Parts: sequence; C-alpha cells; structure tokens
Amino acid sequence: MRGRNVVGLILAGFLLVALAIVWRRTIGIAQSDALTALDARKVQLQGERVRLESEIRAASSRQRLGEVAENRLGMRIPSDNQVVFLPRSAQDGRP
Amino acid sequence: MAAPNRVAIVHGVLVLFAVALVVRAAKVQIIDGKQWSERAKRQQFFTSSAPAPRGDILDAGGKPLVESRELVKIAVALPEVRDTAFAIRALRSSRLDATPVRAAIARKRRWVELPGLHDPARISSLVKLNGIHFTPVLQRVYAPSGGVRRIVGGLDGKGIPLDGIELGLDTVLRGDSAPVTLARNRDGRALETPDGWSNPPRPGSTVTLTINSGLQDICERELSVAVDSLGATGGDIVVMNPHTGEILAMATNRAGRSAWANTAITEPFEPGSTLKPFVAAALLTRGRARPDEIIPTFNGKLELDGRTIVDMHKAPRLSLADVIRFSSNVGIVQFGQRLTPREKFDTFRDLGFGMASGVPLPAESPGTLREPASWSRQTPASILLGYEIAVTPLQLVAAYAAIANGGELLEPHLVKEIRSPEGEVLYRAQPRTVRRVMSREIALAMREMLLAVVREGTATKADLETFAVAGKSGTARRTSLNAGYTAGNYTASFVGLFPAEDPQYVVLVKLDSPSGSRYAGGDIAAPVTRIVLRAALAARDAALDREGLLAAGESAAAPASRQRSADTSIKSAERVSEPVPPSSYVVHLPPKPKPAPAVRPPRMIPDVAGLTLRGAVRALHARGFQVRVVTAATMSTSPAAGAIAAAGSVVHLGYPRE
Repeated sequence: MRGRNVVGLILAGFLLVALAIVWRRTIGIAQSDALTALDARKVQLQGERVRLESEIRAASSRQRLGEVAENRLGMRIPSDNQVVFLPRSAQDGRP
Repeated sequence: MAAPNRVAIVHGVLVLFAVALVVRAAKVQIIDGKQWSERAKRQQFFTSSAPAPRGDILDAGGKPLVESRELVKIAVALPEVRDTAFAIRALRSSRLDATPVRAAIARKRRWVELPGLHDPARISSLVKLNGIHFTPVLQRVYAPSGGVRRIVGGLDGKGIPLDGIELGLDTVLRGDSAPVTLARNRDGRALETPDGWSNPPRPGSTVTLTINSGLQDICERELSVAVDSLGATGGDIVVMNPHTGEILAMATNRAGRSAWANTAITEPFEPGSTLKPFVAAALLTRGRARPDEIIPTFNGKLELDGRTIVDMHKAPRLSLADVIRFSSNVGIVQFGQRLTPREKFDTFRDLGFGMASGVPLPAESPGTLREPASWSRQTPASILLGYEIAVTPLQLVAAYAAIANGGELLEPHLVKEIRSPEGEVLYRAQPRTVRRVMSREIALAMREMLLAVVREGTATKADLETFAVAGKSGTARRTSLNAGYTAGNYTASFVGLFPAEDPQYVVLVKLDSPSGSRYAGGDIAAPVTRIVLRAALAARDAALDREGLLAAGESAAAPASRQRSADTSIKSAERVSEPVPPSSYVVHLPPKPKPAPAVRPPRMIPDVAGLTLRGAVRALHARGFQVRVVTAATMSTSPAAGAIAAAGSVVHLGYPRE
C-alpha cells in the first residue's frame, strides 16, 4: 500500500472517530434534555396530584358536606340507639 | 546547489505551520491543559444546591395532613431577553403580572424577580424563552382543616418553620439538601449530567400523628356550630385515648389574634368544678373521707374567710359522692378543709398541672399552680373550686385520663411514628406512665361518682341512650382585662369518659364566654359532648374499638335499663367504700321536661330466619323497630316473629356467634 493511501485511511479513521464522538455527545445532550423535560413534567404532575388530592379532601370534608347534608338534604346525625354494631363473622370477616 | 523550487517552499511553509500547530496544541493540551480544562468546566457546568423535599405529616390512619409540592420562582435576566415586548406578552398570556419587568426596563436593571410562587403547569409555555429563569421552591400543601393547621403549624415564605409540629420537629422533617453539578446547554439552560450528584439530597422523614382526621373533623364542626349558636368567643375540644395517652383530636376555635394559635395547649383557664373529682380522689387516697360520708352543706350557703360560697343545688347535707354529683361548692370546701395546703398543691402537681406536658409543640403553656407559700388567705378554698389555678385543656384531659385508665397519669403524645424516607421506623410512641396518681380502686370509685353526674347530676345532657357516659361539668367565672371577674362572663366546660365501663375516649369540651342566659357547663358543653360522641359512633373511622363498644353497649342496654348495668359493671370491681345508705336529705332538682309520646301504630315483627345478620337488622329497621343484637343459639327475635310490637320499640335480635 502506498504511503498516500495510508495517510488517507488514517485521516478517514480520524474523521469517523470524531464524527462518532460528536454524534454520541449530540445524542447524549438530546437525551439529557429529554430527561430534564420529563423530570420537570414529573414534578409538575406530582404537584398537580398533591393539589387535586388536597381539593378532594376539602370537598369531601365534614365541614363542607355536613352543612349540605343537614340543610339541603335534611339529613342528621343518628342518635346512638340508631347505630347498631354488628359482630364480625369468624369466617369471612363479614356479618 | 539548486535553488528550492516553489513547491518545496510551499511544503516547507505548510510543515512549519503544522509544526506550529502541533506545538501550540501540545502547549494547550499538556502545559496549560489544566487551566483550560477548568475554564471550560466553568463555562459548561455550574453547581447548584438541590433542595431536599420536606417530610410529610400524616394522620393516624396514614392520610396526608401536610405534603410538599414543587412550585417555581420566576426571574428575568433582561440582557438575555432578545425581544422584550414578546417576553412581556408571553408573561401576560401565562397570567403573570409583567409590571415588575416593565419597571425594571425603565430603571435599566439587569435582573428582576417576579413576586410569588407559580405552578409549573401554568407557565410551561415560558420554559423555552431566553432570559427567563426558574428556581424550584418546595411549597407545603396543608389539609383544609383549620384545626389541623393549628397543630401542624406552617412555614414562612423562605421555608423556615414558624410553629406547630413543623417547628417542633423541624430537624426530623427537613431533609439534607445536596450540591449538584449541572451542565449548560447552548441556551444557557441547565442539563443534568450523569456524574452531577456527589450525594443526592435526602428527603425529610415522615411523621405520623395520633390525630384521627375523621374525629378531628367532627370536633371542629361541632365546636364551630356550638360557638356560633351560643355566641361564645371561642372554645376547645380535646379527645384523648386514656389507655395510651394518644391525642385523637384537638380542635380550637377563636377569633382575632388567637385565631391561628393552638389554644388547647397555649391558653390555660381556670377549670372551676371540673377539678372537684381530684379533690375527692385526694381525700379518698389519704383516707380523709368516704364516698358515702355526709357533711352539712347549710342549704348551699357558707361564709368563709370573708366571702360567701354558694351552691346552685341547695341541700342541708350531702355525701361526698353527691357533692360531686351536684357540684356542691360548699360541700367540696367543707371536705377539702381536711387537706393541708401542701397536700392540695401536691395533688394538683402530681396530676401534671403547672408543668408542660411534653408534646412536641412550641409555646405550650405550663399553666399556673403557685406554691403554697405564695397563697392568699382565700386560696386554700378557691383552689378547691378550680380558681387561682390555671390548666390547659390538654392537661385537664390527661388528668381525667388517669381516672379513666385506673389511676395512671400518662404522658400525652401527638406523634405516633416517625419513618425515614427508606421506610425504616425511627421512632414509635409507646404509652408512658408519668406516675400513678390514684389507686385502681379509687379510680373506679371516681368513675362511679362521675357516672352519677351524667345520669342524674349536673350533666344529664351528656347522656347517651345506648352507652353510659361518665363526666363532670364546670362553670367558672372569667376575668376581663383590668376588671377582675366580671358578671356574665363564664367558661363552660365538660369532661366526659366514654363509654363509662371501659373508656375509649376522654373528651373535653370548653366554651369561652357564651352569651345569653345559658352558660353552665352542664347546659351547653355537655350537649356538645353528646353530639360529638353520637357523630363518632356513626362515623366510619373515629378511633373507636367497636368490638369493645359492642360489649359495652350490650351491658349498658341490658333489660331494666342502664341503671343496673352501670352499677354492676363498676361495682363488680373492688371498692373502697360501703354502699350509700338511704339518705335523709332531699335535693330539689327541676323536673326534666318529658316530650309527649308520638302516636305510632303497632306492627308485626318480621321473620328473620335464614337472613344474614345485616339483612335481619335491615328488615327490622325497615319495619320501624330498634335493634339490639344479642348472642343466641339461632337467628331469632324477641319478641318472636309474628308478634305485634309498638313501632320504635327495641327488638332483641339473637345471633349465633361462631
């Protein structure tokens, strides 16, 4: 093989290695970007979940429902003799 | 020698250039490599502090009371913004106030922070704009209940705890933040790198409280209704498990400056007659009196040390048990004179009055209990009536828990468990006995006296139909600023033990300065206790042992009414006193108004054979009968199926237990 060909091969190899490195870094940065975006999205959704759960708790609290149940639906707290405790069944835990 | 041709010259120059490049590269890479590498790192990477998520606070059932979520703080670096008008429009379209940005442009400032914290979901469209920077900030999300908020406290805008559990357990709740190295992309935005974390931030531990959300909700609602309807200035309800010292609910209601204070631990009050049972217990412990011992009470009027002590219930003589039952001031002062000032002081000090209970809440008041050396001439009598001593609602509940559990003062606790982020249990509360304050026998005798208070004494309005409740009411005059005790200004309170046979709850209801003609603890605080107990019985989860209640309910509702059942349940234990002989005194009580019985036609009892227990109860309820489940060989009813019984009457449903 002539010297010029060897130099050409070396240069081509160098170019390929350089391209591979640049490609790897580009892919790495793109993936890192995507990971950061997903992480932000996860945080966003977790925050949303906390907010929604808090709203559900507020909406289903006795403070909120009690007034509606008593004033709008005419419900009331049962007296203690209207509450019957059923003994738990030994077989399946249900009376 | 031939002159070099032009090609050779060009080659030579190129070789020289290549050598220069190699030399320069060697200098950059080898000699100055470190310096350039540092410079590149500074340009491409930066170090930031990653905040650690603060630990959650849960209720006893694992329901979140406080959680953390990430919000962002927005800042604008004006020199980095390419199109200011576009950036302002973008801020506006995200419903953000762009006024600070405009002001910063006018003042030629380079950096401006927008006020407030923002939901990342709402500002997602701003993420790609140049010059707009986001800093994550953890925000605490609290349960909607105001009472829970008073217990758990809060953080200021910088995340520094202000009060409550947040402050008391800050070292446990706050995690360890950690430095993180981030890369910059071409827009200067942060990118995480694989080796950016030396140590990731460690989240705070999770704290589980003893508070039961359902019961807390019940207490807050009923307290709010009571305060509003009675025109009171505020009130407190504390519920404790007397066998473990767990605080199950702590509701407070105040207007004005105290609105965000947990007054159940910060605001001591003069407890009035609710202290009398402890005087009686001290007398019994020292053998200075017996429950049936009778003393003169002078028709409810006694002159002592220049003042007149009066009773609401006038009687010429009363036994110690009846002194408690009718809350006789004259009687307790007469009996209490058998104790020395030091003995009185020791009794109250041993019950935990005058010292903080040790719950991990800041600003807990120790209350007031002065040494006998600083007592005035009237203090020995006043302290027997619950004056010249101040206790917090929590202290009073803990003291009554000693009567409920057989005589042991337990340390009240609010924290059930602490778990590390990995789930490892770091702390689990165990019942801790501070000291024995009365013997088991005396505690039982006191429970019997308290049962009589609810059954036929000053607090009949706390009574339930199915379960026996024991308790003591108190009505104490309140002081006004610079005016001493003022007329018409009272603290109404009631402390109840439920169920009386084996208490699962000690409930304190306290109402401050109720307006109107009704102000006695037995008249207004006792009914609130009854409503709380009824709601707790009807609730799905209110920290009640229903199997235990089933047994208590059966014994309390046995034929011939609860009079006999309670007597047998409490008298079955060993007692220090002899039975009360027929008394020769008469106490006039206002007769109870009896509502006219509703006319309801009788109906036939359905056949429940072959039905499940639940089905049988439903069938009987559907016909309008009340149901009492009892143990029997077969599924049956008493009266039997087919018999005619009045609607609303109690039908005993026999159920074969397995």
